Amino acid sequence: MRPAMKFTAAALAGGLVLGLSACGKPPADDKAGDSGAKFNACMVTDLGGVDDKSFNTSAWKGMQEAAKKDTGINATYAQSNTEADYEPNLQNAVDNNCSLIVAVGGLMADATKKLATAHPDKQFAIVDAKIDLPNVRSMEFNTAQNSFMAGYLAAATSKTGKVATYGGLKIPPVTIFMDGFAEGVKYFNEKKGKKVELLGWDEAKQEGTFAESFIDQQKGKALTETFVSQGADVVFPVAGGTGVGSTTVAKEKPEVSVVWVDVDGCQSLATACDTFLSTAEKNIPAAVTDAVIAAKGGAKGGATVGTLENKGVSLAPFQKKDALVTAETKAELEQIKTDIIAGTIKIQSPSQPKVS
Amino acid sequence: MTTLATTEPAAPAAVKIVSGRTIGVGVLALVFAGLSLWMGLKVASGAQAVFKTYMIGEDVELDVPAKPVILVMAVLCLAVGALLLSDRTAKYFAMGASVAVIAFAIAFVCWSIAKPGVFLPVTATLNGALFLALPLILGSLCGVLCERSGVVNVAIEGQFLVGAFAGALIGTISASAWAGLIAGAAAGCLIGLLLAVLAIRYLVDQVVLGVVLNLLALGLTSFLYERIMQRAAEQFNSPPKLGNWTIPGLSKIPVIGPALFDQNIFTYIAVALVIIVYVGLFHTRWGLRTRAVGEHPAAADSVGIRVNWVRFRNVLMGGLVAGVGGAFFTIGSAIAFNKNMTVGKGFIALAVLIVGRWNPLGALAGALLFGFTDQLQIFLSSMPGGSPIPSQFLSMLPYVVTIFAVAGLVGKVRAPAADGVPYVKS
Repeated sequence: MRPAMKFTAAALAGGLVLGLSACGKPPADDKAGDSGAKFNACMVTDLGGVDDKSFNTSAWKGMQEAAKKDTGINATYAQSNTEADYEPNLQNAVDNNCSLIVAVGGLMADATKKLATAHPDKQFAIVDAKIDLPNVRSMEFNTAQNSFMAGYLAAATSKTGKVATYGGLKIPPVTIFMDGFAEGVKYFNEKKGKKVELLGWDEAKQEGTFAESFIDQQKGKALTETFVSQGADVVFPVAGGTGVGSTTVAKEKPEVSVVWVDVDGCQSLATACDTFLSTAEKNIPAAVTDAVIAAKGGAKGGATVGTLENKGVSLAPFQKKDALVTAETKAELEQIKTDIIAGTIKIQSPSQPKVS
Repeated sequence: MTTLATTEPAAPAAVKIVSGRTIGVGVLALVFAGLSLWMGLKVASGAQAVFKTYMIGEDVELDVPAKPVILVMAVLCLAVGALLLSDRTAKYFAMGASVAVIAFAIAFVCWSIAKPGVFLPVTATLNGALFLALPLILGSLCGVLCERSGVVNVAIEGQFLVGAFAGALIGTISASAWAGLIAGAAAGCLIGLLLAVLAIRYLVDQVVLGVVLNLLALGLTSFLYERIMQRAAEQFNSPPKLGNWTIPGLSKIPVIGPALFDQNIFTYIAVALVIIVYVGLFHTRWGLRTRAVGEHPAAADSVGIRVNWVRFRNVLMGGLVAGVGGAFFTIGSAIAFNKNMTVGKGFIALAVLIVGRWNPLGALAGALLFGFTDQLQIFLSSMPGGSPIPSQFLSMLPYVVTIFAVAGLVGKVRAPAADGVPYVKS
């Protein structure tokens, strides 16, 4: 028995070490050996991890960008695999002498608030949430604006008169996209006297279809198949990695297009570029880069809201599906953009961040 | 007189087995009847429930008047409730329970879709149910193979994960989905080998071991993903798809044809494996030995069966099957591997194993039940106008149904007697 137990213990330890090593930090670009003097910017990801091809990816891109611009910045990240990891990961970052802690994702707001209150001397930044503390910089994005354009685009290009959307979780940073999309479709119907139907989201009731996951690609595929079987031909997944499932459906059925979110699909998911009509982009990288560089410069707190006007949000180029979009639609989209910026089109979504 | 004579002796024997389960399901059937009645009264009297097979080429539409159908279902549930409560023997249990559940399901679906502009795409729904059920079928089959021989396998999730990883990696490198499939099976088998060696040879607690193997699989695949795949997705993580196989003739049957006979090759593999394992388990010498080892290893040993060898072999076979199930996640629909992409399906497979009472056919039924309710909730939340039920509740549906099936319909389940107990020759 004894040797057997020892062997087991070794195997267990081995397993744990491997398990842990995977969620540890990859070596950052250590240019010199003077990491002690460096400004340590530490990012804590949300569930999808830095390769979710979506908002974690873009936040990490912003971190790396900042490190590239200023060699005195050392960027690292820690991945949250479950919601229970948020607080330990943030705590770890505090303990590990991080100069700036960037929390990615609105779900982390409570944990960030708690730690920022407990450590008023530490600098924090959070994406997709607003925390009113002097040591937290809040970065929010009014994605209802570009999703409005995406909704109009989808309605204008749909041949079946049905478009669909679904979310990862029913939380404001997700439903804001769905709200904007719904309003864009509605605006198209009003303008053109058409009846394009939206499946998967009811803005008035704030009810719709959710995958309950940001990584479950099979669920994304099943959801998309269900929409397509009901006649939808443009799908707008607001679900991080889950949305990759939609692109597999669109690859098999060329009549189906996907509108991606956060990062231009043709860059973040190049293998599926053929399937993307456009992307409701959220310029997280620039916001994060700015936050890191500002924090190194000694800035504290603050809040930013990305809009169409300040290019914090945008609608990506149509890439390979450009032929589907008529010149008329393109002109109308430009007009809509101007109108939203001017305030002549008012977006109703209750999830929009308040401009302070 | 003769009829009396034959029924009389049977009655007392039947009275003895008054089952609480029957009463419970009887009451439930009455609840179903009440709910159906409410739905039937609420639905507009002229409303039609529309079912469509929305497949390219042919569109078959079936319009059902919702109100009468729902009310008939309510009466059916009422009848079942009355029957089960008046005759509380287990005699009508199985039939009664299935009639009540199916009647309620029909009433519920008709009520949900009885709105203008809404239709249920039947073929796509069946297809989706099968797609969601597939990994569960293979996972619970792995469980059957292991647990019937007396080894608890909690590591199905881990086997899925390594299967998915190896399938994507080898499938991409070799540009062959079949190679990916074989690699996935081999990777699952490798975890099976670890489980077998540690559980059977070194007598490690099997549940703890399973949990650790899951962590190992998650850590290892995440690590390799970051090191290999993330850097060059085109080269290492763009798996091909194991194509569909259309059975000529049969696939032309309306409604069920495309769902059953125009499927991913994985579907045929799964169905074949269910049949093979079922026949093998109950009609061959291997099966008899497996079951003997799982129920009473000492007795099996005394007639010369090499208990631990039988277990070892079964765990490895289970690993192969679970690895195939894992490969489905990636090369089943050309989806790139991602960290923890199996999202707990291996644990649901474990629940399905119990719902299916450690029987391959039961596992198939349980997996299909889960897949169907999952697909149904997806459909209900996605239809125009949405479902009257909040999305959070809809998302719970498959799990509620599974719990209900385990607790209510399946009743007392009995695992193989020596399940999880290592055999040490005394």
